[in-house]
Amino acid sequence: MTASSIAIFFAAIFTNNILLSNYLGMCSFLSVSREIKTSVGLGVAVIFVMASTSALNWLVYNYILLPFGLEYLRFIVFIIVIAAFVQLVEMVIERVSEVLYAALGIFLPLITVNCAILGVSLFMVIREYSLLESFTFGLGSGIGWFLAIMAMAGIRQKLKRARIPHGLEGAGITLIITGMMALAFMGFSGMLPIG
Amino acid sequence: MAAPGKLKKTFRDPLGKNNPVFAQILGICSTLAVTNKLENTVIMSLGVLFTTSLSGLTISLIRKWIPARVRMMVETLIIASFVIIVDITLRAYMPEVWQQLGPYVGLIITNCIIMGRAEAFALNNPPGLSLVDGIASGIGYSYVLIVIAFFRELLGTGEVWGFTVLGSWWTNWSIMIMPPGAFFMLAIFIWFVKGMIIKEEEAAK
Amino acid sequence: MNKDGFYATRIYPIIFMVLVTVVFISGVSGIYLSTKDRVELNETIFQKMAVLYAAGIDYPEGDPQGIQRVYEQHVSEVAGTSGSDEEPRYFELKLPDGETGYAVFTRGAGLWGEIVAIFGFEQDLQTITGVEFVEQNETPGLGARITEDWFKQQFRGKRGPFEMVEEGTADEVNELDAITGATRTSDAVLKIANRATDTAQEKVKGE
Repeated sequence: MTASSIAIFFAAIFTNNILLSNYLGMCSFLSVSREIKTSVGLGVAVIFVMASTSALNWLVYNYILLPFGLEYLRFIVFIIVIAAFVQLVEMVIERVSEVLYAALGIFLPLITVNCAILGVSLFMVIREYSLLESFTFGLGSGIGWFLAIMAMAGIRQKLKRARIPHGLEGAGITLIITGMMALAFMGFSGMLPIG
Repeated sequence: MAAPGKLKKTFRDPLGKNNPVFAQILGICSTLAVTNKLENTVIMSLGVLFTTSLSGLTISLIRKWIPARVRMMVETLIIASFVIIVDITLRAYMPEVWQQLGPYVGLIITNCIIMGRAEAFALNNPPGLSLVDGIASGIGYSYVLIVIAFFRELLGTGEVWGFTVLGSWWTNWSIMIMPPGAFFMLAIFIWFVKGMIIKEEEAAK
Repeated sequence: MNKDGFYATRIYPIIFMVLVTVVFISGVSGIYLSTKDRVELNETIFQKMAVLYAAGIDYPEGDPQGIQRVYEQHVSEVAGTSGSDEEPRYFELKLPDGETGYAVFTRGAGLWGEIVAIFGFEQDLQTITGVEFVEQNETPGLGARITEDWFKQQFRGKRGPFEMVEEGTADEVNELDAITGATRTSDAVLKIANRATDTAQEKVKGE
């Protein structure tokens, strides 16, 4: 079980990066990746929320929804758990640390609507992961997302002064670079013996 | 009911220059993943269309009673309910497709378009108009993805809707059905459309 | 309504939220319950179709009663201790050519999750009559192509131990076409196919 958790962890970061191979979290990825600083802030928040909510949703799913035969309500329940968790974290951070709040606070509301967070919880159910596997999957996916947005922000900063065909400015060029990044990440697939 | 002019504008805007996908790059997350097969894309698009239009209508119907504090929660709840209906229906009547789509049906909930239209339009407009807006946004969203899926499946497997179109002379571009293919295809599509818009604007000058 | 009153800012939103939740959850639950039987029927029919497909027996598609009838004529489930949950130990088949055959459930790890397949065998427990994948979470359009007909059909008449070769080049009795771009899934299926023969031997003979 531990071995599979480790495999899942690395697969989620590299070979099956949630952004580059499942296209999840694209909206905030495209809009936030303009600046490195904001990208780091959002990335860290995503790692934290993803890891926590995947474990939390696992508990809710296996101890509340399944015993009562309510698994068909999981979409609603998961999204509420995520929203409530984000809200709670926001309140705690606000009280505890002003520095942290200034750095992460504005990103937290953005996260509730980040498809990747809900995606991780849904994948975890379909693939029948254990609690540990779910947690490492959430953590790995978060780190993978963080890496992707960091790399993208770095590249976009360099592109600021580049000459780009008019039609490709903005979203177009970002998507092409994302495609290339996806290609590059596919190169990792020889790295892991899964299955 | 609103003036016919506004109705027409509501319907046409999302299809043309205010298209949610290529003008605002919204909501591609949930569906881009299934665009390597035309059939799945069409069914997924129908699900999105169903959810955008009906959630727009419902939210607009009760918009005067929704308390501002819990607005987002109410919207999410309504959207999630419609998505569950899509999920249940697919599972009961098209079990094979349901299995292939896997978690992506559920991800319609976080599709930014639906939430975005609810916030920006349905909360301030009468039900009829909101329904039209939802349908138009859904169609505007779907046709872009269907075009992408068409080319991805054609170039990647030589097939359209599971039927072989290109003969045995065709070497499949496997990259098109793999994840990077979607990014490239979408970028090319955006390039093409934006190029046309830029040309039009220059011609207008 | 008083805009800033205690009622408007505290109580009303809660009542509203509860009301909306109750209405929508009951709506959704109603739809769920009304389709529940259908979903269950789908699942049993799905398994029966899978066994028939693996045996290479034709069945009327989209006709649950017809499938049921064909299934009863050709398949008998042999219960046993080693079958997990409600799964039978193995299926005894009456193949189209009149011979006896066997079908077994075989599982293995795929790229993303477990792959569950039903393999059908001729009486020698070596030659495969067919395969159907009943559960898989592979990447749509890539690994998930194992559920496409061309991939499943190629198992008919093959005998192990198998080898995977490049897509479109298999011609030996033990060669299988891999799926381009889905190396991991192809490897996983190869493992499962080889394991299936052992499973069949063990379950059918080891009675």
